[in-house]
Amino acid sequence: MSIDWLSGPLLQQLNSGVILLNTQLQIVYINPYICRRADIQLESVQGKDIFSVFTDAPKAWLSRKLNSVLSLQSPAFSSWEQRQYLFKLPHLRPVSSANEYMAQNCNMLPLTEPVTGEHYVCLLIEDATDAYVYQNQLQQSNLQLQQVNRLDGLTGVLNRNYWQQQLEVEVQRAARYQHPLSLLFFDLDKFKRLNDDYGHQAGDLVLIEVAKLIGSLLRETDLFGRYGGEEFAIILPDTPLDGAIEVAKRICRRVAATPIAYKQQNLMTSVSVGVSQFSSADSADDLIQQADLALYQAKRNGRNQVVTYYPGLIDSLKKVKTN
Amino acid sequence: MTDLSFTEEQRDCLQELINVAMGLASDKLARFLNTFVHLQVPAIGLVSAAEIPEQFRGQYQGLNSSMISLGFFGDGGLRGETILLYQLDNAGKIAALLGYDDDATSEAEMLTDISSILTTTFLNGLADQLENSFSYAAPRIISSRDSDFISKLEQTAFHWQLALKVDIRYELTDYSFDCNMILLIPGEAVLKLKTILDHVLAEF
Repeated sequence: MSIDWLSGPLLQQLNSGVILLNTQLQIVYINPYICRRADIQLESVQGKDIFSVFTDAPKAWLSRKLNSVLSLQSPAFSSWEQRQYLFKLPHLRPVSSANEYMAQNCNMLPLTEPVTGEHYVCLLIEDATDAYVYQNQLQQSNLQLQQVNRLDGLTGVLNRNYWQQQLEVEVQRAARYQHPLSLLFFDLDKFKRLNDDYGHQAGDLVLIEVAKLIGSLLRETDLFGRYGGEEFAIILPDTPLDGAIEVAKRICRRVAATPIAYKQQNLMTSVSVGVSQFSSADSADDLIQQADLALYQAKRNGRNQVVTYYPGLIDSLKKVKTN
Repeated sequence: MTDLSFTEEQRDCLQELINVAMGLASDKLARFLNTFVHLQVPAIGLVSAAEIPEQFRGQYQGLNSSMISLGFFGDGGLRGETILLYQLDNAGKIAALLGYDDDATSEAEMLTDISSILTTTFLNGLADQLENSFSYAAPRIISSRDSDFISKLEQTAFHWQLALKVDIRYELTDYSFDCNMILLIPGEAVLKLKTILDHVLAEF
C-alpha cells in the first residue's frame, strides 16, 4: 500500500505546528495549525522572510539556531522551560491562566529534498501550555507552603523556629561584616489577667492587634517573631543600641496609647521591652538570654517600660532575688 | 545473564568508528564556528554505569559544572542517552564564539544549545558510520551550578547497564575547551550495537 496520500491530510489535521523554511529562512510552508492560530493565509506569506511575518520572534537568537541546523545538518531544540514561546500564538486554555501566549516546545530539523538535494529547516511546534500552567501552580503552592511553614498561625508574624534560624543567620552576618545588630524581647503586661477577665478570644484579639501595630512600626528588614505565648522578639539588623532603644520606646508608647476594641469595650494593654546588642563574642543564645534578662528587669521595675541589658544586670537580679 | 562485554575486535571497531565520527564533527564545527577546531582522538572507556559517578567525582569536585542530557533513538533498537559534562568557565568561551554575548539569552538556554550542537554533531557522524540515523529528544539540564551533581549523576546512571565514556577535548584556535561526554546505552541496545559492529567487521 502506498502512503503518499498520507502527508497531506496529516499536515492539515496535525495537532502540532509545522513551519518549513528554505536556507534564506523564507517561508515555504505553514500548516493550518499555525495559520489559524496566527490568523494568516499560507498563500500570502509564502516566500516571505519568517521574521517579517512573525515580527515578535527573537530574531538574533532564532536565526542563529536555524543557521546552525542548516550548516551542521543536526537538529536544534527550544523548550518552554527556557524560552516560554518562539511565536506569539493564542492558546485554548481558560483565560484564568496567567500566561497570555501558548507555551511552546520546538524541534528544528534539517530536511533535504530528495530530488533536488536542496536543504530546508522544519520547525515542529508543540503546545506546552498545560505543563507551563501546572508548573506555575506548583511553584505558587510551594511558595505558599514555605510561607505557612515560617509563620505563626495566630498573629502572622514569624514562628519561633524560623525566627531562631534567622537570628543565627543575622548573628553570623553581623560577626563576619562587623555590622551592628540588636535584639528586642517584649511581653504583654498582665496578659493572664486579661484572659481571665475577658476570655481567651479577647486575649487572642489583643495578641493579633498588638502584633499588627508593632509590625507597622518596623522596617522591612526587621525580623519580628512570636517567641512563646505572649512573648515576642524582634531582630534589628544593622541597628546599634541607641537605635534599638529608640524603636523599643516607640513600641512601648504606641501600645500603651492604642485602645483595642472588643465587644463595645476598649481594652488597654502595655508591653515591657528588653534590649540587647550583639558584640563579637556573643552567640545567638547569649543575645537571647541578655534581652530576656533585660525584659525581666523591665517587668520588675513596674512594666510598660524599656530596659537595656548591661553586663552587671545579672548580678543585680541575683541580689534582688536573694534579698 | 547475557554477556554485554565487547570482544577485542568489536572494541577496536567501535573506537575507529568514533574516531571517524569525531573527525566529521570537528570538520562541521570548524566550518560553523569559522575557526580551526581540533578534536583529539578521544579516549574511550567501556565501564559499568555504576562506576561512572565515582570517576567524575575527582575531576569536577568543587567546580561550577553543568550536566546536560540528550536522549537518542536509532533504527534496529539502538538507543541511549548522552551526558555532556563541562565546567561553566569553559562554557563562557564557547558561548562567546557562538555569538551568545550579544543578546539576553538565559544561561540555561545557552547550555542546552552548546550541548546539543556538540552532541548531535558527533552522534550524527557516528550514526553515519553505523549506517543508521538517530532522532533526538530535546536536551535537558540535569544539573547546573550545583556542587552535588555527582549524586544526580548517580541517579541517572543507575538506569543503565553500560556506559561508554568518551573524553573529548575540543581545541579551538584561540582556546581549548574540555568536556566529557558519556554515552549511556542500555543492555539490550548494547547487544544490538554488538550485532551492528559484527556487520561492519564482516564487510571488511
